[in-house]
Amino acid sequence: MIGIEWLNVYAGLAGIALTELFDGRGLDHDRLANLMMERRSVGLPFEDPVTNAVNAAKPLVDALTPGERARIELLVTSTESGVDYSKSVASYVHEHLGLSRSCRVLEAKQACYAATGMVQLAAGWLASGHSPGARALVIATDVAVVDEYAQYAEAATGHGAAAVLLGDQPRILAIDPGAYGLHSYETLDSARPEPTLDIADADRSLFAYLDCLTRSFADYADRVEGADFATTFDRLVLHTPFAGLVKAGHRKMMREHTAVGAEAVEADFARRVAPSLAYPQVVGNLCSGSVYLALASTIDRAPVQRPERVGLFSYGSGCASEFLSGVVAPEAGPELGRMRIAERLAARRAVGFEEYTRLLKETRRCLVPERDRRVDPEDWWDFADRAAHPGELLVLTGVENHHRRYDWR
Amino acid sequence: MDEQLLFETVRRHIVAVVPEIDPAEVTPEVSMADLGCNSIDRAEVVTLVLEDLGIDVPVPEFHGLPHIGALVELLRAHRP
Repeated sequence: MIGIEWLNVYAGLAGIALTELFDGRGLDHDRLANLMMERRSVGLPFEDPVTNAVNAAKPLVDALTPGERARIELLVTSTESGVDYSKSVASYVHEHLGLSRSCRVLEAKQACYAATGMVQLAAGWLASGHSPGARALVIATDVAVVDEYAQYAEAATGHGAAAVLLGDQPRILAIDPGAYGLHSYETLDSARPEPTLDIADADRSLFAYLDCLTRSFADYADRVEGADFATTFDRLVLHTPFAGLVKAGHRKMMREHTAVGAEAVEADFARRVAPSLAYPQVVGNLCSGSVYLALASTIDRAPVQRPERVGLFSYGSGCASEFLSGVVAPEAGPELGRMRIAERLAARRAVGFEEYTRLLKETRRCLVPERDRRVDPEDWWDFADRAAHPGELLVLTGVENHHRRYDWR
Repeated sequence: MDEQLLFETVRRHIVAVVPEIDPAEVTPEVSMADLGCNSIDRAEVVTLVLEDLGIDVPVPEFHGLPHIGALVELLRAHRP
C-alpha cells in the first residue's frame, strides 16, 4: 500500500486577524461571512519559498533514521512562487534538508493543483517497485505577493508550506490505487504573470472550481464502481482558497447527488467537511498545499476512530483538477499530533495592520529577481514568535550574484 | 428547449441557492447580483443550471452578462 507516511505544515511565524485587515483596507465586513475566515499567515522578510519548504519538511526528515533519510529518492517542490526561470526551489531545499545525492530533484507548476499531481505521480512511481522501500517527498510551498490591489483576495491569501512524505507505510493516508478522476481545460481565472502581481477573475475562478469539482468527481465515479458522493466518503477534504467556497462546493455536490433538504446538507457539512476547514480558516490559502493543510485539519480536529475513507479534491487555476480518495486509520491522529500543528498556528505572533503594511513593503519583493540583496533576519525578530516553530529555522540572509543564501537560527 | 423553460430552470436554481430571494423578483431584466447573489452564489447557480440542462458552455462566455435574460440567451445558443 502506498500513501502518505507523514505530513507537516509550516505556516510562518506571524499572522493577522481578518477584521484587522478588513478595517485597514476599508473592505466590507459583510463579506467576511462569505470568506468564513478568521486569520491569515503573514510572511517575514527572511522567509521565502525555500525557507518555508525546508521549515515544513525538516521535522519530518529529522525524525527519520539516517538510513531512512537516504531512501528519500524523489524530492519535488510544487510552487507558484518560483525564484528563477531555470533553477528550482527544490535544488536549494535538497541542499538544506541534507538529502541524498542519489535523489531525483524537481519543481512542478500547475497553480494550486501541482502538489496533488506530483503526489499521484510519485505514488505511481513508488508502486512500480523499481526501487522497493524508496520514499518521495513532495513539498507545496508559496508566499503571498499581493497588497491592496487584490482586494478580498489579499485577505484570503496565506503563506507557508505543506510537506508530504510518501512511502509504503502510509500512517497518515493510504491512497486508493486507481481511484481518481480528472478534469482540466484552459482558462485564465487566476495567474501570477509578474513576481508581484496576482491577477484573478473572481467569477471565472469560482465557476471553474465548482465546475471541476462536479466533473472530476464524475470522472472518479466512472472509474470507481459504486462510488457515491454522499455515502462513499466518511470525510471530505477540498482545496480551500477560502472556507466559504468549500461550503458552496459541498452544498452543490449534495444537491446534485442527493435529494436531501438544506438541514441535512448542513449536518453533513458539519460532520464530513467542517473539521477540514479549521486550519485553512486561520492560515489562508496555501496554494497547492491547501488540500494538505485541510487534511491535517480534519485528522487533528476530528479524531479518527476507525479506518475512514477520505475524498480529496484538488483544483489549480488555469485549470487542472483531480478528485481522489484514500483511507485514514486511527494511528494517523497520534502520528500527526507529534507535529503539534494547532499549537504552532496558535503561537504565531499577531501583527497589527500598520506592522503588516511595513512587512509587506519588504516581503512583496521576495520573488523579484535581484543580483545582490542583503537581508538581516535580526531586524525582524520583533515581528515573529519563535514558539510557532520551536526547532531550527532556516532563514534567508540574502542574494549574492543571483545565488540565494540561507542560514539556520 | 424554449426560452421559458430555460428561464424557469435558472429561476429554480437561483431560489434554491439563495432561499431568501422571492421567485417573483427573478425576471429576465434583473441581474443575479441585483437580487443579492454574491459571486459564489452566481457561480453555483450557473454550474447547477449547466449540469441540470446537460449543456456545455465555454467558461469565458459567462463573463460580464448584464442580466438573467442574457444568461438565458447564452444557454439557448448552446443548447444541445
